[in-house]
Amino acid sequence: MADVSKQAAASVAARGPAGLPPAPAARRRKRPDGLKWFSWITGGLVYVFLTLPVLVIVLSAFSPESYPQFPPRGFSLRWFDALLANPAWMAALKNSVLLLVIVTPLTVLLGTTAAYALARLDFRGREALLAFVLSPLMIPQVVLGIALLYVMAGMGMAGSLLGLAAGHIVVALPYTVRTASVSLAAVNRQLESASMNLGAGPWYTFRHVTLPLIKPGIVAGAVFAAVTSFGEVSVSLFMSAPSTITMPVRIFSYVDQTFDPAVNAVSVVFIAIAVIALVIIEKTIGLTKVM
Amino acid sequence: MSAGATRARLPASGRGFAWLLLSPTLLFLIAFLVVPGILLAGLSLRNVDSMLNIQPGYGLSQYILVFGSTTYANALFTTLWVSLGTALLCVLLAYPAAWLLVNAPTRTVRTVLYVLLVSPLLTSVVIRTFAWIVLLAQNGLINDALRNLGLIDTPLRMLWNMNAVIIAYVQVMLPFAVLPLATSLGEIPQSLSRASMSLGAGRIHTFFHVTLPLTLPGMLTGAIIVFALAAGSYITPLLIGGRLQPLLPITIYQQAVQIANLPLAAALSFSLLLITGIVVFLLGAVLKRWEKRTYG
Repeated sequence: MADVSKQAAASVAARGPAGLPPAPAARRRKRPDGLKWFSWITGGLVYVFLTLPVLVIVLSAFSPESYPQFPPRGFSLRWFDALLANPAWMAALKNSVLLLVIVTPLTVLLGTTAAYALARLDFRGREALLAFVLSPLMIPQVVLGIALLYVMAGMGMAGSLLGLAAGHIVVALPYTVRTASVSLAAVNRQLESASMNLGAGPWYTFRHVTLPLIKPGIVAGAVFAAVTSFGEVSVSLFMSAPSTITMPVRIFSYVDQTFDPAVNAVSVVFIAIAVIALVIIEKTIGLTKVM
Repeated sequence: MSAGATRARLPASGRGFAWLLLSPTLLFLIAFLVVPGILLAGLSLRNVDSMLNIQPGYGLSQYILVFGSTTYANALFTTLWVSLGTALLCVLLAYPAAWLLVNAPTRTVRTVLYVLLVSPLLTSVVIRTFAWIVLLAQNGLINDALRNLGLIDTPLRMLWNMNAVIIAYVQVMLPFAVLPLATSLGEIPQSLSRASMSLGAGRIHTFFHVTLPLTLPGMLTGAIIVFALAAGSYITPLLIGGRLQPLLPITIYQQAVQIANLPLAAALSFSLLLITGIVVFLLGAVLKRWEKRTYG
């Protein structure tokens, strides 16, 4: 079964993807193509499935009714007002923002330095070390949460903002390592060599040559770290005390008990942040490169 | 990220500097990932009395409980099947989505599709799960719509079962399956399928014998990520599956937070880690073999 693909792959390997002659134009005659239509329609449906839930919560957030309604009858900002007037939501927002401000710079610092070192060092086990740094992505989140809860409780840091920050950094670190690595792979190494040949030390070179070159990757990494921290709930739920409840944790307990459009209004805030994050990533490193 | 041929050896001072830069991250991960893991492993080997007090000495009693009782064994198998099913569905749905992304007629359309695909990933999982509650609840939007259309009289019960969990899982994790698949699809030169067709193969034959095998790595990568995510998440099933679903992550959460039987929660955690590790390893081995077979 794989014979065709094997040969095809082999011929690409031999000639390179660009080396194949273009197919004769006569072979590409236009005809009604059922398969193509089928792909378009099923593909479109998948995107609808992906988008519809988000669209529905955003639109029903502006409903004046006391339960989510779609299509909304009328337009009202009452649920946004309710949000601003509720001290519990505001306290959660304050905690989330505070955490984000602690987590983002530290994650970027740890992630960028690690990505640089792993890109420049050449030793046996480099791949294994990289896999270790990226491993929080693959560890079941419930396990990560309970392990951190246990160690934080032992250190008397359970429920503290610092404990939560440590958890968020573990979860966000792989993203900043990845974005910095993508940028680093595009850096011309001769620029670094030139700097060092001219007598600059490794620190000076890193600071004045490498860092400016990988700035887009660092900015994208910062956006990922901030967004991850702001939305993190799986690890936070284990570790937050009543005084350190974050937005997602509060949403979790709220949704668990009630069902009203206040959460829709919060969701709109989250979705707006995601869209802003997307724009920043697209403008810096390009969406296609990091995802 | 490996630079291949351009990799020049750093001078000794540069190498020392690189290690120096790496050390804070390694120390951090040791403190907040490795040490917690080791402590949790130790905890899973402790015994508890009937009041859940931890007893001196170590033993396998928690693991015997996990693998010996039908409740936990059932949760383990259910978790495994639900996660594998989610991964399979994600890969199936990812194919047309990735195809559309790669074959988008204009740059703008492609960017829009990309935004649709990536923006859910940047939105908290609580929000995405909440969206499904709004849709599937008894007084939710789907029931409303069906009632208004006169298709049903009494609202359907769509929440609080495993189907709701799987639907939400698939939507929440689908982008993770689409992205690697789109990368795989995008890397296939157009000329390959044209060559196949000019040699007389039909479109469907070409798809199954040229395109599909070449995208298997992308499919497997996506499946591995989705499986690992599904096996470890407890927020979505807690919120829309109900607390009684026999899923391991829910059980772990309840044992740790509500019952405060940490040794049992730890043993359940390592059982989950073991099972997902085995599946991820097996899928990874298939992936490696396939790449070796295809590219030599």
